[in-house]
Amino acid sequence: MIRNAVHHVFGFSYLSARAFASAFSPPYRWRDVFRQIDFVAAESLPIVLLCVCAAAMVTIIEASFHMKIVIQNDSMVPGFAAMLILRELGAVVMALLVTSRAGAGMAAEIGSMKVTEQVEALQMLGLDPVRFLVAPRLVACAIAGALLSLVANIVCLMAAMSVSVVKLGYTAELFLEMSRPFVSGQDLLFAVIKGAVFGAVIPLFSCYSGLNCRPGAEGVGLATTNAVVASSVAIIVLDFIMSYLMSFYY
Amino acid sequence: MIDFESLVKRFGDRTVLKGLSFTVQEGEIVFILGTSGTGKSVLLKTLVGLLRADGGRVRIAGEDVTDLSEENYLPIRRRCGMVFQHPALFDSLTIAENIAYGLMKHERLSLEEAMPRVRECLALVGLGGGDPSLQPDIQLETKLPTQISYGMQKRVSLARTVAVGPKILLFDEPTTGLDPVTTRQINHLIRDLSRKTKTTSMVVSHDMDCALEIADRIVVLDKGMIVEQGTVKEILDSKQPLVIDFLAEAKARTVEQ
Repeated sequence: MIRNAVHHVFGFSYLSARAFASAFSPPYRWRDVFRQIDFVAAESLPIVLLCVCAAAMVTIIEASFHMKIVIQNDSMVPGFAAMLILRELGAVVMALLVTSRAGAGMAAEIGSMKVTEQVEALQMLGLDPVRFLVAPRLVACAIAGALLSLVANIVCLMAAMSVSVVKLGYTAELFLEMSRPFVSGQDLLFAVIKGAVFGAVIPLFSCYSGLNCRPGAEGVGLATTNAVVASSVAIIVLDFIMSYLMSFYY
Repeated sequence: MIDFESLVKRFGDRTVLKGLSFTVQEGEIVFILGTSGTGKSVLLKTLVGLLRADGGRVRIAGEDVTDLSEENYLPIRRRCGMVFQHPALFDSLTIAENIAYGLMKHERLSLEEAMPRVRECLALVGLGGGDPSLQPDIQLETKLPTQISYGMQKRVSLARTVAVGPKILLFDEPTTGLDPVTTRQINHLIRDLSRKTKTTSMVVSHDMDCALEIADRIVVLDKGMIVEQGTVKEILDSKQPLVIDFLAEAKARTVEQ
């Protein structure tokens, strides 16, 4: 088991290193990158916005409820919600949703290619699967992650503001004014950076699982499951590390 | 052209190839014959670096390729076209895009620029409409692999392989899953293609009929070792039990048909 784990750690590290080297060296596969951005960002946007809005609404209502119990009023709800959304909620919820949608799709697609010998056919045409399959997805997901994080955080804040206006009696101006001491543009920048890093992690795990897929339908299913689980765990762990490092700059 | 020297390949505790040594001359069609699980496909994949040898040497045109890195293997593979057991067509691309893919990526051609070569290759595998430049089968070219029959997919796979102009053609069970008529057509196609394009060919199969019909030389594998090799005539005269079994089975099938 330990030998197997070490094998996977080395395999994943080698694939990641080659993917980054291919992503930053010509020839660049821009057409593939744009196609992947469309798949990851544009097609994931509705589900991401729906879920982050729902998460924001729950956060506001729960925060208000508990603050009223603890400090007898909910005057700090806007600041608390804005901070929670920008520093954690927006980027993490977005990344987990992209993992379950796009990451699973990538692992299944590449796993199926592996099982039906399409990956080997690519190699036999003298083409490197890492350059042709992994690198465009890596670049696309990093860009898509940053863009989705930006949009998700802004829409999430607007959803929180809307609930505050409708449910808690705030005005939009008051909500913004009370949030301002707690958050700044830097928080949004850090959220975008987190989005890009989480985005880059997803295709690495998905492609690694797909390229190491076992034969048969069961193999493809297992590769997809492994990709989603590994990406999700990596996102949570990376979020902890990045939040800790970023806390020195707040 | 191709030289295997004491080739060993293991999967865990299981040794699949046990020190194989043989040579394939330039322009030859060599059949690797054997029952399922004897390491025939493993041999082909080890030749082109899709699997790595655990012992021995592999040489292509005098160049030792055994320990090449993945990056350095890419140009070697361009010289060795391989037709897989499954058609292995890229299912998100049309037939024309599949055949043109290697040309588009290596020679930076657009699909339009690659189309004459695509039509030439389709005609070569019997899927063109006669003169490739005058009567292209536009309907076929724009179809997806899932929209054509399995036999046609195999032919398109062959067309994709020859499109990049390989010097060595490798066929992994090219007639598995095909009906007898299509099997015969594919066999003739392999022979004609090898002759026309002057390529060296290695065909992995368990079909003795096919081997007797088109092979220049036959190598018989059993449990990862060579048990017999020779020309068609030498194989027909062989007293090796496995070869006798293969010949008897082929004869029975011919009578049945």
